[in-house]
Amino acid sequence: MFQRILIANRGEIALRVIRACRELGITSVVVFSEADRGASYLEEADRAICIGAGPSAESYLNIPRIIAAAEVADVQAIHPGYGFLSENPEFAEICRSCGFEFIGPSHEAIRRMGLKTEAKIVANKAKVPCVPGSDGPVDSETEAQALASKIGFPVLIKAAAGGGGKGMRVVRDADGFLAAYRTARAEAEAAFRNPSVYLERYLDNPRHIEVQLLADQHGHVVHCWERDCTVQRRHQKLVEESPSPVVPEAVRTKICESAVRLAKAVNYYNAGTCEFLYDPATQEFFFIEVNARIQVEHPVTELVTGLDLIKWQIRIAAGEKLTLKQSEIKRHGHAIECRINCEDPGANFRPSPGTVNRMVVPGGPGVRWDSHVVAGYRVPTNYDSMVGKLLVHADTREEAIRRMSRALREIKLDGIATTIPFHRLLMQDEQFRSGEYDTTWLEREFMPRNRDRLGS
Amino acid sequence: MADGAPEGQGPDLKKLHRLIKLMHRYGLTAMDLGEGPDKIRLRRGPIASAMAPPPAAEYVHAAAPQAAAPAAAAKPAAETESQYIRSPMVGTFYTSSSPDAPAFVSVGSNIRKESTVCIIEAMKVFTEIPAGISGTIAEVMVKNGQAVEFGQPLFRLS
Repeated sequence: MFQRILIANRGEIALRVIRACRELGITSVVVFSEADRGASYLEEADRAICIGAGPSAESYLNIPRIIAAAEVADVQAIHPGYGFLSENPEFAEICRSCGFEFIGPSHEAIRRMGLKTEAKIVANKAKVPCVPGSDGPVDSETEAQALASKIGFPVLIKAAAGGGGKGMRVVRDADGFLAAYRTARAEAEAAFRNPSVYLERYLDNPRHIEVQLLADQHGHVVHCWERDCTVQRRHQKLVEESPSPVVPEAVRTKICESAVRLAKAVNYYNAGTCEFLYDPATQEFFFIEVNARIQVEHPVTELVTGLDLIKWQIRIAAGEKLTLKQSEIKRHGHAIECRINCEDPGANFRPSPGTVNRMVVPGGPGVRWDSHVVAGYRVPTNYDSMVGKLLVHADTREEAIRRMSRALREIKLDGIATTIPFHRLLMQDEQFRSGEYDTTWLEREFMPRNRDRLGS
Repeated sequence: MADGAPEGQGPDLKKLHRLIKLMHRYGLTAMDLGEGPDKIRLRRGPIASAMAPPPAAEYVHAAAPQAAAPAAAAKPAAETESQYIRSPMVGTFYTSSSPDAPAFVSVGSNIRKESTVCIIEAMKVFTEIPAGISGTIAEVMVKNGQAVEFGQPLFRLS
């Protein structure tokens, strides 16, 4: 087991890893930038080393400085957290070649999973369904028409050379296909000087379902069930929960087992998450990508399974065997996480950093608060806007929602604008409570409906 | 992170102010004063260690009267009057280019912006550090072979 670990990250995830180290009896060394100097979470580590100025390029993304810190602190391993360098295969490779274990998967696995095309190849090999589509641009009308029928309607026609909705068409049936195909190509030509389009199955009301994976360096892979992260705004997750309120049990098992197959196909080890899109109408699921790192919402899984994922990451990296049998990983109850950001929900979620002048942490049964923020904390402007994760765990989803509402009433984070009012409204929302929504529901329906109530 | 004294039980603010001025004047970074039922701890940053807390004053009530005994920390680090050469990187500080070679600079050395003042080693790469400012070295603040972090003061100039 490692004696000393360097934590190459900041904020709440740095604190999370520090906590795991403390409980494992491992010395924790955390890096920090000038923008984070004085933050109270740094005191929880055994040692803190300043590695550079505020901008990430000079600190948390600066590989030589992080390695230099690992060197002077004489650590055996480096935990990259999430974001920053956590999915940078060069960083993982450099750590290991400098003699520091990288607490995560192999750099080859990170590299492979980071390339969408590569990941799809692995998924096909593992017989994991992907979003049906053309494997590249389709330039002939006859070919396109045939392929569209094969893919299955509704079909999305997408410009290969650009985005922003240009050269994009959703076609509901075979009759309308050719006209849409021609228009899309003309639009793409006008916008990008390249008429190339490709085809994909269009999912009307997709849900985002992801599977937590744990694997050791001895080939043993397990899943820790799924999380439903369908509540999103601009492709950013705001609320995550487990189990998914809409996936039937049999399908759940199939999705989770396919994630395990995929991990085995690429000799994956350590923690990772396999993301899928799920179509409730047809009960089909489609692989999107693997996140080869620990994720922000990992505590949701920790609450329903009782596992400490960070500790397992450390043990796996130290070469220990994953002693969990799949049959032993059981779910209990329901967990929800609300990401609290310093953004003003009444002003289009504009980032609103500042100084927290009052902090009251909610407590009581089934409440968990993962945050580095304390009273007096000044939110640096160099990094993301997440100030904390509020989680609840209860026996049922209804109870969990009530508990989250309760916790959202108790929590006080004064001095900055936060998304707490937004989450309060969401927990009261009938459609959220029904569990029936898709990835665009929040922006499409909830936000317009609540515009007045969110205005600050 | 400046938690001042609890409200309503003021330390003598004039006295605190005088103490703080004294610390500045004589370049002290720490002072512990026990007087009567009260103790005062004053710390002034930056301190040459891996963790550098900002200046903070703690006001602590002790039950029994303590003997008045001001104590000062070993490393003087005057802030406003002097200038500092700070480490631009994380690594190990060396005063000379090799163990047998003479030190690049020492107390009293006159330096220009381009003068090499030390070497910092990281990952077996030895980087010569330029002064960045001109002046006279008043103090070498770190020891040969000591680990230094970004921003850590290495030399004080007069």
